[in-house]
Amino acid sequence: MTVASRWERLLRGPRVSAAGADIRSVQTRDTEAGRLARDVDADPVTPLWRGAQILRLLSYLYSLGFQIAVNPDLDHRATAWTLFGVLTLWTLVSGVGYFVGFARNWYWVGTEVILVCALMLSTSVVADRDWAWNNQTWPTTLWATNAVVSVAILSGPVGGIIAGLIVGGTSTFVKGHLNLNFGRNATIIVIVVTGMAVGLAALQARRNHEKLAAAARIAARAEERERLAREVHDGVLQVLALITRRGREIGGPTAELAALAAEQELQLRRMISDTGDVDAPAPDADGAAETDLAAVLRALAADRVSVSSPAGPVMVSAHIASEIRAAVVNALDNTRHHAGPGARAYVLVEDLADDVVVSVRDDGSGIPEGRLAEAAAQGRLGVAASIVGRIESLGGTAVLDTEPGGGTEWEFTVPRGGRRG
Amino acid sequence: MHGDSAPDEAMGDKGKGDKDSRLRVMVVDDHPIWRDAVARDLEDEGFEVVATADGVGSAGRRAAAVTPDVVLMDMQLPDGSGTEATAAVLEVSPQTRILVLSASGERDDVLEAVKAGASGYLVKSASRDELVAAVRATAAGQAVFTPGLAGLVLGEYRRMSQEPEPSPAAPKLTERETEVLRLVAKGLSAKQIAKRLSLSHRTVENHVQATLRKLQLGNRVELTRYVIENGLDAD
Repeated sequence: MTVASRWERLLRGPRVSAAGADIRSVQTRDTEAGRLARDVDADPVTPLWRGAQILRLLSYLYSLGFQIAVNPDLDHRATAWTLFGVLTLWTLVSGVGYFVGFARNWYWVGTEVILVCALMLSTSVVADRDWAWNNQTWPTTLWATNAVVSVAILSGPVGGIIAGLIVGGTSTFVKGHLNLNFGRNATIIVIVVTGMAVGLAALQARRNHEKLAAAARIAARAEERERLAREVHDGVLQVLALITRRGREIGGPTAELAALAAEQELQLRRMISDTGDVDAPAPDADGAAETDLAAVLRALAADRVSVSSPAGPVMVSAHIASEIRAAVVNALDNTRHHAGPGARAYVLVEDLADDVVVSVRDDGSGIPEGRLAEAAAQGRLGVAASIVGRIESLGGTAVLDTEPGGGTEWEFTVPRGGRRG
Repeated sequence: MHGDSAPDEAMGDKGKGDKDSRLRVMVVDDHPIWRDAVARDLEDEGFEVVATADGVGSAGRRAAAVTPDVVLMDMQLPDGSGTEATAAVLEVSPQTRILVLSASGERDDVLEAVKAGASGYLVKSASRDELVAAVRATAAGQAVFTPGLAGLVLGEYRRMSQEPEPSPAAPKLTERETEVLRLVAKGLSAKQIAKRLSLSHRTVENHVQATLRKLQLGNRVELTRYVIENGLDAD
């Protein structure tokens, strides 16, 4: 670990979001997306904390000036200076703590609220009632606002408003009366609004950060998948393809091995090329999820099933995709059971703008003439009827073409529904 | 037109034994096990493996030196893609024919390689007989289509015709070519297609070749148009 990253961890502090924890699991590699994910993982409200410490410094200088100016008028000057020493020490330690990060938690922020209120309450110790009435609360309301800002950054607008009420209320209590003439004295309003505004800014920063973290996580995953795909391609897939070829040449039991290798090659290839396409349907304008039909059907490819499709996605509603998939699965089952040993099946996906066309053809024995009619007469047209039913329920057509020895061919034409103009 | 169909008998008399007409093949693949296995298979079948290369750069240099008849091209190379290597080989040896052999289903890559001038595509798990037949067919100027490649090419024509403002240079298929290409995508062999459409075997081959040639020509026109519109300047 470099010195820089050690510091980065230190600055990040104890706050770890759920998204942050997730990112760490995928950022094992020093990739660009990994680095991005790491950067995003830093505390989203750090700029607010740092800006607030500038306010803290300025408000400290203001209260120092105030202290020098009013000290001669106070009853207990030595006590006032002692308390101001505490204030100075706190300003220094908490300022550094918030700036670098270790103080960004409830222990410190809570302590700050209590300390600020205690110092304000000490006004009645160091000064008389008259002074308190005629002046702002010792050691100035501007300095006291720091505590409200800290709470707001840590917890958001609600916490900011509550802290504003506590600090403003303490100030009012010290003065000994509630001044409802806000036109003349708006101190409490200013403090509460400050707490709310800073809290809203912190909330927004955190929300944006979550979105950014999610985006970075997706990018890191995609990059990792690509890297995996390259490595798998370079080694495993090549060897599996070789085993398939050689095994088929040798024949006998080795051909069975070849079939296993071919199946694994296909699975692996599918995994590295289509993962993510199928899992994450993108919602369209109407909010209905859209799915890449081509990717859905490519997942059905097997040793004896080839699936051809355009290079790009063929987007249809998730419902259409799942119904077409079910129909294709039925047709492929039919091929397996009836087309005879060694029959191959070919699925073709076509995108015709308004319609999608899916063909399922096998090169098996076909259906003998009269066989379908006979089956229909016996009420045994189960599978074919269910295929036709599925496709027609989508407003499409399903056509079966077969001849003895020439295999069978289904062609499904389905309108794109929502997209049909 | 081979992919899954039987080897083309018409081409069977070429190759084996006949020293003068031995086809000169180059194998481009960065995976040594695979490269050597393919080279050995091809030599056993009477081809002359004149060179092997393991990347885009070496493929270009060696093709310039040996001008092979056919190049077997892997899609993923350490220093670039099979598409780049295809362009590099054709640049120095335009009469060479390229057959893409790909292990994984990189659909976009295969389509790009075909547009860049490759004249066919075969999956690596294809049998030795299929491979040998495909190399012979490629050398004879035929397009080697798998159903998968036919689906890609068909999809590409459809995509171009569906664009809101189709480019005037965008190639279009005739009805007959679309029909033939669809049947290839559905796994029919050239012979089966010829029978079904009552065409000669030769005519079917010509239609299939035409679909590739137009796509490649369209790609070149498109590139030229791009250069004219955007200039040749590097910036």
